[in-house]
Amino acid sequence: MIPTTHVLILSAALFSIGVLGVMLRRNVIVIFMSIELMLNAVNLSFVGFAREMDSMTGVIFIFFIIVVAAAEAVVGLSIILSIYRNRQTLNVDEYNLLKW
Amino acid sequence: MLLTFYILGTVSVLSALGVLVCRSPVYSAMSLVCSFFCLGGIYILMNVEFVAVIQILVYAGAILVLFLFVIMLLNIVPTGESVRFNLPVLIAFGIAVGLFAQISGLFLGDIQFGPKDVYTAEAISEEGSIGLIGRLLYGEFVLPFEAISILLLVAVIGAVIIGKRRLN
Amino acid sequence: MIAIEYLPILILIGLGVVFATIFTLAGILIGPKRRGQNKEMPFESGLPSDGLVGQRYDVKFYMTALIFLIFDVEIVFLYPWAVKFREMGWFGFAEVLIFMVLLLFGLAYAWKKGALEWE
Repeated sequence: MIPTTHVLILSAALFSIGVLGVMLRRNVIVIFMSIELMLNAVNLSFVGFAREMDSMTGVIFIFFIIVVAAAEAVVGLSIILSIYRNRQTLNVDEYNLLKW
Repeated sequence: MLLTFYILGTVSVLSALGVLVCRSPVYSAMSLVCSFFCLGGIYILMNVEFVAVIQILVYAGAILVLFLFVIMLLNIVPTGESVRFNLPVLIAFGIAVGLFAQISGLFLGDIQFGPKDVYTAEAISEEGSIGLIGRLLYGEFVLPFEAISILLLVAVIGAVIIGKRRLN
Repeated sequence: MIAIEYLPILILIGLGVVFATIFTLAGILIGPKRRGQNKEMPFESGLPSDGLVGQRYDVKFYMTALIFLIFDVEIVFLYPWAVKFREMGWFGFAEVLIFMVLLLFGLAYAWKKGALEWE
């Protein structure tokens, strides 16, 4: 039996790494991957809590999170593609115009 | 089993760090795949097999493939984006470590869980986790389930509009 | 515990990692090393190479992968329905029908806008 606390700490570690990635990296695709990592960390904590409380709701919620992650990836990567077409760069520091 | 959990957890944290360290986005994506696989293994250890399957099927199989397609589409040159330890980077490290300390401190203290539900490990293995998920998803959670189809519809339309260069 | 049934997969993954590591390390450690500027040049049929190796992929690959991802997620939701198909009867069928018809609108839109065309 895996202790729930350890699962939650692992999830916290993955979430913090995701936050660090968003702050540290300037490549917009890597930032996006860090966001996916944070979503995964939340999934893990959902599973941990669901098992601790003998509940199934957390597991159902993972499905919804995965759908949101998929939709986010699809739309977000399209936005990255179209920004790259206009600016020819992936550095987020250079995305400084709201309107062309 | 506990040992397997620790190994998988360590590997997933290390490969998550690899996402940050690698300069080439392709290596970052492969590192993220490794991390997702380890999380799938942890889900199997926690008796939620179906979540493990969709973790590998959707996350490692589809979302990361989409990332790799975009990386190859843009054919990004691994730039010399090197991390220097100047003040903003140190602040970022401080924020991340502080966040981790705060969350894990919260979990290490005494947590008061609410009332327990009926789905113990025995009840899940009796009905099978997929069947149980199906019963709940199509019974109790039917409205969010239908809302999901609208979300996916919006995602398809939005991605086609934004991503396609010339619309018919 | 269900996890015991997955032990062979874990052993398989472990063996894969071990063998890949062994063979890669053996190649590095045992193999002869002769280095030189000419030898480490990328081979391009005798011509000196110019510029980067990789080529850019077309956006049509991305459009296909996008549609695949959306319907991959849809299929994930159909698995639990397939397991509980008889138990849920017509009500479950109606739910899934609404779900799939809404997603078919998305497919029809992508089709009409030419996202599926392989130009």
